[in-house]
Amino acid sequence: MNTFSTLARYLIFTGLSATAITTQAEDKFRVCADPLNPPYSSKDLSGYENKIAALFAKQLGQQVEYTWLPSRIGFIRNTLKAENDNGEGYKCDVVMGVPAGYDLTETTKPYFHSTYVLLIAKGRGWDDISDPSQLANLPLQRQEALKIAMFDRGPGTAWLQKNGLLEQGVPYQSMTGDSQHNVAMQIDKDLRAGLIDMVILWGPMAGYVESQSPKGSYTALEMKSTPDMKFDFSIAMGVRYGDNDRKQQLNELISKNLPQIQTIISSYRIPLLPIPAQPAAKDDDD
Amino acid sequence: MKPVKNWLLASTVATLLAAPTVSTANSDLEKLTQNPANWASWGGDYAGTRYSKLSQINTQNVKNLQPAWSFSTGVLRGHEGGPLVVNGVLYVHTPFPNTVYAIDQKTQSVIWEFTPTMDADVTIPVMCCDTVNRGLAYGDGKIFLQQSDTVLTALDAKTGKRVWSVQNGDPKLGMTNTNAPIVVKDKVITGISGGEFGVRGFLAAYNIRTGALEWKGYSMGPDKDTLIKPGKTTTWQDGKVTPLGPESSLATWQGDQWKIGGGTTWGWYSYDPKLNLVYYGSGNPSTWNPVQRPGDNKWSMSLWARDADTGEVKWVYQMTPHDEWDYDGINETVLVDQEVKGKMHKTIVHFDRNGVGYTLDRETGELLVAETFDKSVNWLTHVDMKTGRPDVVPEFSTEHNGEDVNTVGTCPAALGAKNQQPVSYSPQTGLFYISGNHLCMEYEPFEVSYTAGQPYVGATLNMMPAGADVMTGKKDGTTNLGQFTAWDAKTGKIAWSNKEQFSVWSGSVATAGGVVFYGTLEGYLKAVDAKTGKELYKFKTPSGIIGNVNTWEFEGKQYVGVLSGIGGWAGIGIAAGLDDGSDSTNTEGLGAVGAYRSLGSYTKLGGTLTVFALPN
Repeated sequence: MNTFSTLARYLIFTGLSATAITTQAEDKFRVCADPLNPPYSSKDLSGYENKIAALFAKQLGQQVEYTWLPSRIGFIRNTLKAENDNGEGYKCDVVMGVPAGYDLTETTKPYFHSTYVLLIAKGRGWDDISDPSQLANLPLQRQEALKIAMFDRGPGTAWLQKNGLLEQGVPYQSMTGDSQHNVAMQIDKDLRAGLIDMVILWGPMAGYVESQSPKGSYTALEMKSTPDMKFDFSIAMGVRYGDNDRKQQLNELISKNLPQIQTIISSYRIPLLPIPAQPAAKDDDD
Repeated sequence: MKPVKNWLLASTVATLLAAPTVSTANSDLEKLTQNPANWASWGGDYAGTRYSKLSQINTQNVKNLQPAWSFSTGVLRGHEGGPLVVNGVLYVHTPFPNTVYAIDQKTQSVIWEFTPTMDADVTIPVMCCDTVNRGLAYGDGKIFLQQSDTVLTALDAKTGKRVWSVQNGDPKLGMTNTNAPIVVKDKVITGISGGEFGVRGFLAAYNIRTGALEWKGYSMGPDKDTLIKPGKTTTWQDGKVTPLGPESSLATWQGDQWKIGGGTTWGWYSYDPKLNLVYYGSGNPSTWNPVQRPGDNKWSMSLWARDADTGEVKWVYQMTPHDEWDYDGINETVLVDQEVKGKMHKTIVHFDRNGVGYTLDRETGELLVAETFDKSVNWLTHVDMKTGRPDVVPEFSTEHNGEDVNTVGTCPAALGAKNQQPVSYSPQTGLFYISGNHLCMEYEPFEVSYTAGQPYVGATLNMMPAGADVMTGKKDGTTNLGQFTAWDAKTGKIAWSNKEQFSVWSGSVATAGGVVFYGTLEGYLKAVDAKTGKELYKFKTPSGIIGNVNTWEFEGKQYVGVLSGIGGWAGIGIAAGLDDGSDSTNTEGLGAVGAYRSLGSYTKLGGTLTVFALPN
């Protein structure tokens, strides 16, 4: 398997680079994506990642072709790094959203930067909260009434722990096996039902939850990173290690289209921060 | 959180086909396992000793062993578990899609086969580490298959027709199954997988004739869920067997975190018919970042004794409180009567992923022996025999070191000093035979996107050879990743240990012929002298072995059989095509890809049963 795949890659990539300019128009823009993961991607192409893929493909004169798989453990293994059944090439070539510096794929330059927000449902007795730090200093009786969502390994949970609020956390799985609901959809549902009053949620998901209700239903407070707790992250695109031509091509497209990309993303009510300079790649692979 | 639906009523296909009485099913299986011609449960017997009284193949003649016949399963993923042999018929299972074959030994032909209907697109994305299955159970004229998609299915052993099936879990919540069930009296007992998803583990007993749920005991949560009886259920603390107070699990979790608490039960289960107790281990606590789940997180990482009729907990003992290393506690439990410190005990023996070999009194839960069975193990200095707790070395505590620190050289690696591969025990030598891993790890928390696009704090895992002597722990620069070790559970001492190039991911079998058989990741079936460990025979099967070697008799002849077919955690790089040969894939497969890279030079995919016998 190993030898075969290395050989296959060699053939594919030498082939590509020799004829890149002439053959790429006939190629497809092949994306690995989750079929139901709003607001990122969706089979009905309503996600912002779908829109950005369409934008790029159009400029390349290509058609978008999707390989759909729920985004869970093993996603990269079963899509980007999975060979086609006919043994020719891979199932898809680009993952539209991964954190910059993600180590399961090679990553492009980042195309947006967002942050976790504390999302509070209005009219539930928390309208006076205007800064997350207030939660930690509430009188005990009020604190005990708090119902706030927490996720396995999320920085929100780390924040709750640091502020002595774990007892108030309502634990959620950070991934489910449910192909009909993603986590953002579940949180939206439970916020409406009053099972939770607030949640510390990654910007795109918070934007999704807000977009499902009338304007003004929620207060969104930005979580501020501290040296020991990071809430803001840059998002890039992922390609297979060694797929340098494609990485280069995507980097050029990102540079060229940055304002348009950010317009698409902000139309999903996703909080956008300036993209910071990226730290040098972590040298942990050797 | 969504409530777990009652699938039971919806999907049970009840039948009342000429059902034998309650006691018959049980004594039938007990009788079957007492006849060494059969191999009627995963462990060979209820005690899980994986010992055979057959002696036709012995230390003198094993060198003449030959493959007698073989059978391709047609599946390429990792083949764990092994064949059952009941009244002359051989039952073979495969990884996903979980095909079951009944094979006529005389003609070596298929009598029937059954492939359950499962949706690969739904099931495979929720299986973390490979699509393995650890085997079948037999009882009451039925073959029990625990499907990957959590459906437990009963098949007519004669025809392969489905008699009933029941939904044991909800795949939408990340639940899957990989374990072999066990038949106890009128019940079939099974567990659940899915710790990565925050699934709360449980053991469940279903009526053998109808599939109706009889009892279900969770690993954590309120006493009514765990079936712990305060004041009655005991644990080992303060140097004695002590009754538990109310809500002993809840008190060790913050808030409602126990609801996604892990403690899954995907290992092997054993049973003592006289005490009427079922034994097993529970897995690692969920919320992987230990900082985020303060407390002991009981009863993850624990050994359990439950009443077979009611599920009520007799005793429970936590091995690794507040786990920081993923030392999943699910390994098998072997039930043997032995003299410890001058006194006979009905003991339970368990070799944990954390590197400690435990001997407890299985009637009371009294802790008798707890010693490391691989001296490279360094995360603890020792187990305090009074408190029963490990004395953790701060240097190897990932929590102590913090989230920005690469914790280097922790032994064992997360895959454990021993993983799921079951040990064997020989009453002739009084020794246990441990298929072991011999690796250490670097464990560096870091940020990744995992699901739903949430960047989160995770961990990079790199594994490397322990490079230290198993017997002494002294650094010796060795590069072997596996050990095959003989252990005296009465004293906690290593009798002998053989190096293996790769982890030994195969369950062994010990026989009255004085021989112990096991398989290697390169694909060798090996036979060693039970007394000395001297290698007596080896044969290379078509693929790497992560299955268990079983032995039985047919028409007066002793056979030894093993499933080969590389995969599982150690083989995931090959099985799932994760490895592109570059350093950048080292940390894939939770760190296994880098450590096992050269394995691809020795073996390739493919499931085969190879059956061995002496020449006529």
